Amino acid sequence: MTAIGAGIAMLAALGAGLGMGIATGKAAEAVARQPEASGKINAILLLGCALAESTAIYAFVVALILAAK
Amino acid sequence: MVKTKTLTIIEFALSAVIFVLGLIGCCALHSYVKHHGETKKLKKRSKLLLALTIIAAWFFIGTAVTSVWHGESGLKVEFEMFSDRVELFGFSFAQTSVLMWVITGIVLVLCLIFRLFIFPRFDPDKPKGFQNIMELAVEATENFTKGTVGDYSGTLAPYMFSLAVFMIICAASELLGFRPPTSDLIVTLAMGLMTFALINYYGIRKKGIGGRIKSLAKPTPVIFPMKILSDVAVPVSLACRLFGNMIGGMIVMELLKSVLGGYAAGIPAVAGLYFNLFHPLIQTYIFVILSLTFINEAIE
Repeated sequence: MTAIGAGIAMLAALGAGLGMGIATGKAAEAVARQPEASGKINAILLLGCALAESTAIYAFVVALILAAK
Repeated sequence: MVKTKTLTIIEFALSAVIFVLGLIGCCALHSYVKHHGETKKLKKRSKLLLALTIIAAWFFIGTAVTSVWHGESGLKVEFEMFSDRVELFGFSFAQTSVLMWVITGIVLVLCLIFRLFIFPRFDPDKPKGFQNIMELAVEATENFTKGTVGDYSGTLAPYMFSLAVFMIICAASELLGFRPPTSDLIVTLAMGLMTFALINYYGIRKKGIGGRIKSLAKPTPVIFPMKILSDVAVPVSLACRLFGNMIGGMIVMELLKSVLGGYAAGIPAVAGLYFNLFHPLIQTYIFVILSLTFINEAIE
């Protein structure tokens, strides 16, 4: 049963994937519009991706706590 | 699938023969090209021969390793949330924290050596070689910190630089077969708490205790408990992010090794380039930039 619970917990990765995909798409648009600002856009994109990724990481930690018993 | 002994011997002999033949062929082709010039067809063939030789060598090493070392076959990864414990001087320590002390000691000794023997020989007017690298790293960190927190970069830049060095060396210790200290929740939580202390220290230093509390109730006083909660969540989120990323990479590498078994020659090195080198670098960058952003938020 804990394995099923860990699997369900990882459903949160869906939201993180969607969020990171949208952020990266917008960043690509921004670079296409203004290629000279790519350095700043890169830094913002990395920060945003890290924040969006954190939900998936929390889910992963919860899944690990469930599965590592 | 259980391999019989004869099958193993046949595989061993076949791969050895192909490997030797491929080596001889590569050498012969090389000398032929040297004397007679190169054509497109010959180039393609030599590439094919090289690939075949490498695959044969991989099979040769794999069979040799599996016949000598009887590892357990199949998918079996043992994973524990907290690392093994070791007995030292009558106390029980986590293996990761002992490794962390060793890394700290190594870094301290390296710092002393650099300061006493290498830095005095640097020429401030004509930088060259190693001095260029050091100046580049220090300057980049300083500019980066100054761009985020402004006036406080004088004390924060060295801290962030040493944090980055420590995290990168911790991640690199996985290449030696240890469990890296950053894949232990306790170590990452300690680092998150240091950031938490720094946030509050700089917030209070800039605004005073009253100002710091007032800034938590900035838009409306109703938001005060939520702001407290989000402040407390900062070290937890930093710790969980680093821990999850590091242990995720470690688990993927362990899975790869257990799948390949004795044939794990060369392939984990390619995957490790991403999971043990690139990924920790990104995580270090994110940890540093998030710490600086939160500190900047407190002093604004």
